[in-house]
Amino acid sequence: MKTYRKALFVVCVSAIVSLAGCSNKPVASTINEQATLTGPLPYNPLAWRVITSSVNEHKATMSTLYGNDVAVAYARANEGRPYPSGSVIALVTWSQRDDPHWFGARIAANAQAVEFVSFPSAAGVSPAYERYEGAPLARVAANEGDVKRIDYLVSQRAAVTP
Amino acid sequence: MESRSNARILVWLAAAALAVFVALQLVNPRLYSPPVTAELQAPAEVKRILKTSCFSCHSNEPQLLWFDRIAPASWLVASDVYEARRHLNFSEIGKLPAAQQKAALYEAVNMIQLDAMPLKSYTLMHPQARVSPEDLAVLKDYLHPAESVTAPDEAMKATADAQYTAWIHAGAAPLTVQPAPNGIAYMPDYKNWKVIATTNRFDNKTLRVIFGNDVAVKAIAEHHTNPWPDGTTFAKAAWFQQVDDSGETKIGAFFQVEFMTKDARKYASTEGWGFSRWRGADLKPYGKNAAFTNECTGCHAPLRHNDYVYTFPIAGQQ
Repeated sequence: MKTYRKALFVVCVSAIVSLAGCSNKPVASTINEQATLTGPLPYNPLAWRVITSSVNEHKATMSTLYGNDVAVAYARANEGRPYPSGSVIALVTWSQRDDPHWFGARIAANAQAVEFVSFPSAAGVSPAYERYEGAPLARVAANEGDVKRIDYLVSQRAAVTP
Repeated sequence: MESRSNARILVWLAAAALAVFVALQLVNPRLYSPPVTAELQAPAEVKRILKTSCFSCHSNEPQLLWFDRIAPASWLVASDVYEARRHLNFSEIGKLPAAQQKAALYEAVNMIQLDAMPLKSYTLMHPQARVSPEDLAVLKDYLHPAESVTAPDEAMKATADAQYTAWIHAGAAPLTVQPAPNGIAYMPDYKNWKVIATTNRFDNKTLRVIFGNDVAVKAIAEHHTNPWPDGTTFAKAAWFQQVDDSGETKIGAFFQVEFMTKDARKYASTEGWGFSRWRGADLKPYGKNAAFTNECTGCHAPLRHNDYVYTFPIAGQQ
């Protein structure tokens, strides 16, 4: 009798537990809050369209290159550089973390830097470079490495998007 | 007098139930197990875990307990095993190309990690099949050893370069693209949507950009993402990874673009989402027939509490 009761108890508890597992409990939104860009930026690159994206496994970072309309239209139809006047491109770099939903994927963690290269309307004037770093993102003073960064950003080719 | 006839009825009922039960055993459709032809090749420790937790359903060597063999439970067991083998069969997995075997193992590990496998209904009766956190770590280490880094690949670079050159000179002329087998039409404008996330996948060596249409971007801004509103569409474009000489991983050749379109009524049979996918730079629709969506819903099922969406969207596009 005792074992019968025990068995019945186990069956009932299991049934309740398994039903509870199926309930549609509301779950907090999965917005990637930590990857949000904070701080005053001259433009919001996330409002722009994408040119390409890349990863640095050694630094555990991921970057996405965005452009304003002029820049994106140009990058998707031309191999050659420079960009036409009025173009602004922006490279956002995030540190990476493992994707909690998928072993095998890495996603964005905190934003580390946002870089802008703008192409002036006047001929013969070299493009301007601005770099923002930290949390919140703040302007970094110009330095001798900037020329290399301009070359790097400008040389990225557009991802094939058929 | 009355209680005696009641007792009689009870005895008859019990006898009838027993007869039905015995008869059920005779119509018992026996679980047929074909021979093991191409078993998974893996280290002994990895195999031990998979044998303990997965092989009962996902192999041709089911380890059935006595209560699994009694009808009607045995019918359920047989149909579960047949379905499980269709998804993944460790006794025949060796026939698949290496990349597909690896993808299947990654999916298996993820189903375990998401607590979708082994099935709750199975571990309830077979608690020894549960995968411990230590065993899960063994499986992960096997699939992705800590020191693994991708190397440059000249042949893949040549493919990517040729594809880029062809694409950049093709101009804006749209390709003629066939609809997906479930009738969903190609959405060429995805490339002009906002980026809501990027991922790199070390399991299949791809880089991905996830785009959201205006409805999706508005939903993110308003934090109305569970469930996502009707009209939401995500596009996930994937490219092969291209490691350059500096060790940076660039976007290489275009691999595929896949879409999820939310319409709770129209797509009720596929969890409220219309799934579609096109592969290659020539955008060939994915799937032999409309049943290809079983793959999609199967993989997305563990995310039912998150409206079946894997992506963690970044906010701030508006």
